[in-house]
Amino acid sequence: MTKMDRRTVLGAGAAGLALTAMPVAANAQAATFRVGALNPVTGVGSPYGSGMQKMIIAAAEEINAAGGAGGRRIEVFSEDTQTSPQAAVLAAKKLIEVNNVRAIVGTWSSGVSLAVVPLTNDAGILLLNTSGAPALSVPPANAKGLSYRFQATNDRFGRAFAEIATREGFKRAATMAFNNASGIGNTEGFKKAWEAKGNRVVAEVVYEPNQPSYRAELQRVLAARPDVIVTGSYLADTTIILREWFQTGETTRWIIPGWAANPQLIQALGAEVTEGIISVDSVSNENAASFAHYDAVHRRATNQPGLSNVYAAMTWDMMICLGLAMEAAGPNADVAAINAKMREVANPPGEEVFTFAAGKAALAAGRKINYQGASSVLDFDQHGDVTPDFGAYFIAKGQLERRYIVSI
Amino acid sequence: MVFWVELLIAGVVSGLVIGLVALAITLVFGIARFPNAATGDTMTLGAYGALAGHAATGSLLLGGALGALGGAVTGLAAYALVFRRLSGRSTVALLVASIGIGFILRAGLALAFGHTQQVFQAPLVRPWRFEGVRIHPNDLRLAATAAFALAVVFATLYLTPIGRRMRAVADDPALARVCGISPVRVMVALWLLAGAVAGIAGVILGMRTVVAPEIGWDMLLPGFAAAILGGIGSPVGAVVAGLIIGIAQEMATPVVGFTYKIALAFVVMLFVLLVRPRGLFGRVEGVR
Repeated sequence: MTKMDRRTVLGAGAAGLALTAMPVAANAQAATFRVGALNPVTGVGSPYGSGMQKMIIAAAEEINAAGGAGGRRIEVFSEDTQTSPQAAVLAAKKLIEVNNVRAIVGTWSSGVSLAVVPLTNDAGILLLNTSGAPALSVPPANAKGLSYRFQATNDRFGRAFAEIATREGFKRAATMAFNNASGIGNTEGFKKAWEAKGNRVVAEVVYEPNQPSYRAELQRVLAARPDVIVTGSYLADTTIILREWFQTGETTRWIIPGWAANPQLIQALGAEVTEGIISVDSVSNENAASFAHYDAVHRRATNQPGLSNVYAAMTWDMMICLGLAMEAAGPNADVAAINAKMREVANPPGEEVFTFAAGKAALAAGRKINYQGASSVLDFDQHGDVTPDFGAYFIAKGQLERRYIVSI
Repeated sequence: MVFWVELLIAGVVSGLVIGLVALAITLVFGIARFPNAATGDTMTLGAYGALAGHAATGSLLLGGALGALGGAVTGLAAYALVFRRLSGRSTVALLVASIGIGFILRAGLALAFGHTQQVFQAPLVRPWRFEGVRIHPNDLRLAATAAFALAVVFATLYLTPIGRRMRAVADDPALARVCGISPVRVMVALWLLAGAVAGIAGVILGMRTVVAPEIGWDMLLPGFAAAILGGIGSPVGAVVAGLIIGIAQEMATPVVGFTYKIALAFVVMLFVLLVRPRGLFGRVEGVR
């Protein structure tokens, strides 16, 4: 029995060695550029993850169909973050060390992106993320300028919350934040913008995840008699908090980020509890030709309208933008050369282009380009952050209705 | 005053859940002599069982019963398939095996039901008010359920022949065996009981919060803390310690804030164990 075990182990070891040796052989053909699609297929991000991954693959196919980028075909390796930093780090290590990818694309949730960014920095490769934590903008996370964010920062979300709270005429705002970089980023951003408008935050609470009850937290906030509670929260904790809030009989209004106040929240709590909640999310660049194109591809890949997954539009843009930067950098460019071209192809000045093929043609003709994304106009600031617009969605009779758009 | 009373109530409700988890842990530890890390995931299975039962029958009570049954069956299966074969091995071997069972349960549930949260579609009701203090009818029901579960466990342990045998094995397995007590029957009873308690804890937690594959695993640490604080192996201690931790956490929040309330539970544990290393209700075990 022992002997057989040893043989099995040896066999597995040999197989493992063969596996790790394979990429080296594959690397010999330099005509491919490897990209890791690292997305939240399972876990809290699961409503978005598989759509994000499908759009990365679809965009890679489109780039390859247009003759590749910088003379290279793009090859995608897919992994699941499970929306957990631990699982994401293991998957990122595998993508970097085994698959030898040159960019990791589409990490979701700040905890995941903050855990993965040291690995991509050490490997000197790109990280294109959809996370909100302000810490991702600056060193140490973005010390090498290799990380780009296709989603609004939590700080910008907070500013949008303040705009909406002002517009709705609220006077006494309180905040509740999930204790992580993203949750606190939201409420801090709100507080800064709200106080700049001459208002006061009447109560602030930072709460821990995975608690059996949030009643004490709610009690603290409600004791200050706020007219609106602004949150930096996720789906599960928001569900528990709102249920307990409703059972207190209070009638406060809520402003909640879109990833928490989504159709699943309404399904969990019902129309009565969720009535009047304001859900704020970044909106895609809906009137651009790039969005129409993305929408058509998204419908083909998932049978859902492109609007249903704001993050899928971001991952689509990541690949198109990356492809254009590769094209601009020329044949066999290394990551540093591609990175140097990211802003050049996405920011003004330049001819506005809406697809990879159009951008490639314009570059070939020697013109400067400015890719207008499906997710936003996609102009990176010095930190690699973009500024999309925000939609104020009101929950009415169990449906999310977009009432207006705010620009910050 | 109202403020503090409401905090106290919130603490009692949290504490009952922790107490039930700790009870399931301490029962196994007292008799099978190892920390069962699959307790949390047995809870989760109970919550999903109740969810399915509620969807099928429309009755929360029947759903809850199915959840408890699911927990009991899981406990028994874990014993029959794994722990019985490992009996006599070291505590560490059993602990590692239980971690493995927990992994299998969690992954199986995630595969079957997905990672997306599910909730009990129970009607939400406004609270009753006594002198300004808000009392939630649902809390009372859940507290009654917890109290009923505790009553059944203690009645089984102290009023029935199998309970007496279980306590005998807990006291001294070798002596119990010499007296003709069949260890297998005791173990079957133990795993059914501990599994059902974990299942009920899961049902209550799921009804109060949301049901997702990780909910039980996340409760394991406070559960272990309460089991240790109460004196490992002591059922009464586990429940009392759960209540102490729950109440201390909530009552301390105006002073220490919400981010440190979990740490506070461990500070309480630290102090009690410094003064009373055997825990609140634990006995000193002599080594001969």
